Amino acid sequence: MMVGDQGEEELAALMRAAQVGDKVAYLALLKRIEPIAIRMARRRWLGSQTPEDVAQDVLLSVHSVRHTYDPGRAFLPWVRTIIHNRMVDAQRREIRRSENIVFVEEPPETFSKDHTNWLDVGPGDPEELTRAIADLPPGQRQAIELLKLKELSLKEAAAASGMSVGALKVAVHRAMNSLRTALSK
Amino acid sequence: MDSAELMRALADEAQPVRRLRSPFARMAIWFLISIFWVALVVLFKGVRPDLTAKLVDARWMLEVLAALATSLMAATAAFCTVVPGRPKWEHAMPLLPASVWLGVLAVGCYQAWRQSGDLVAQITPDWACFPGIVMTGIGPAIVMVAMLRRGAPLSPRLSIALGALAAAALAEVGLRLFHQQDASIMVLVWQGGTVCLLSAVAGLSGRSFLRWKLKSPIGI
Repeated sequence: MMVGDQGEEELAALMRAAQVGDKVAYLALLKRIEPIAIRMARRRWLGSQTPEDVAQDVLLSVHSVRHTYDPGRAFLPWVRTIIHNRMVDAQRREIRRSENIVFVEEPPETFSKDHTNWLDVGPGDPEELTRAIADLPPGQRQAIELLKLKELSLKEAAAASGMSVGALKVAVHRAMNSLRTALSK
Repeated sequence: MDSAELMRALADEAQPVRRLRSPFARMAIWFLISIFWVALVVLFKGVRPDLTAKLVDARWMLEVLAALATSLMAATAAFCTVVPGRPKWEHAMPLLPASVWLGVLAVGCYQAWRQSGDLVAQITPDWACFPGIVMTGIGPAIVMVAMLRRGAPLSPRLSIALGALAAAALAEVGLRLFHQQDASIMVLVWQGGTVCLLSAVAGLSGRSFLRWKLKSPIGI
């Protein structure tokens, strides 16, 4: 449906009333603007956005700059300029978004650096790890069991073992070093 | 987000608005505020001693008036760009006075070339122009940005570039009142160059100054 001269005058009258605070006229005006925006947006490529999304953006934009309408000038060119501007902005956003998307056949599981890809060599021998933990001094073994195997927090591990948080940190650090040495032999 | 709900919420919070004045009226307001700043800078720097002689020099007067007209037309055009639905030709309003301004300088350069034969040799460093224009133009530029932000940010780069041209051209008028440099090639390179550079740089950063301020009343 095209908006003719009569429609133009009605819309301009509604806008004049809206500018002086007539809420009923403003609601009626917004209801007339929305289909115009949707109709214009349907003719354009909008990517993942719908004409309804653009129309809502237009409604918010019209609301924020409604004081720029000059009652001495035509209303439709005013609103169409805003609709056009918001559509172009929507297209720009869509293009920017698509530029940031990288299509890959197989998504990488880790970063490309070697030290992040240690899983490639497999989880190792669990029995060897169990033996290495058993060979640790009692304090270090307890720290490893509580913090790494049971995954308790430092506070919880300190309460369970009777060791201080500082002592637990030292014990687990030394235990990790000992395990690394034992497993790399 | 439901459009019907959005429209109801927008209508509910709608208060009477203060309409934007016409671009010409806004240009007049901007000019009156800006000229105060420019006058202050000129007084602070001290008017050039040969100003009375310059005021009866037709070429000098034409050049300064063309710069002033460029400033006023650029300001009007800038204010037109933030009003939706206005004709596009308004954006080109400063072209005519700017052509006259550049034309007067070009004629001066041509005459200097006819006399000396080597125009490039006349170009010497004149570093006072850049800070002079920046200092004189900063006040008008701030007022311009504040006024442009009241409008619709339809083409932020163009609006800010035109606004910067208005401020820089007005600053150039002020500079001509306290800076004794009348060789056309020097005015063209240093003062014209500064005006163009500032307008271009400001234009590129237009989106930082002007953007849509959308606030949904239903929190979306």
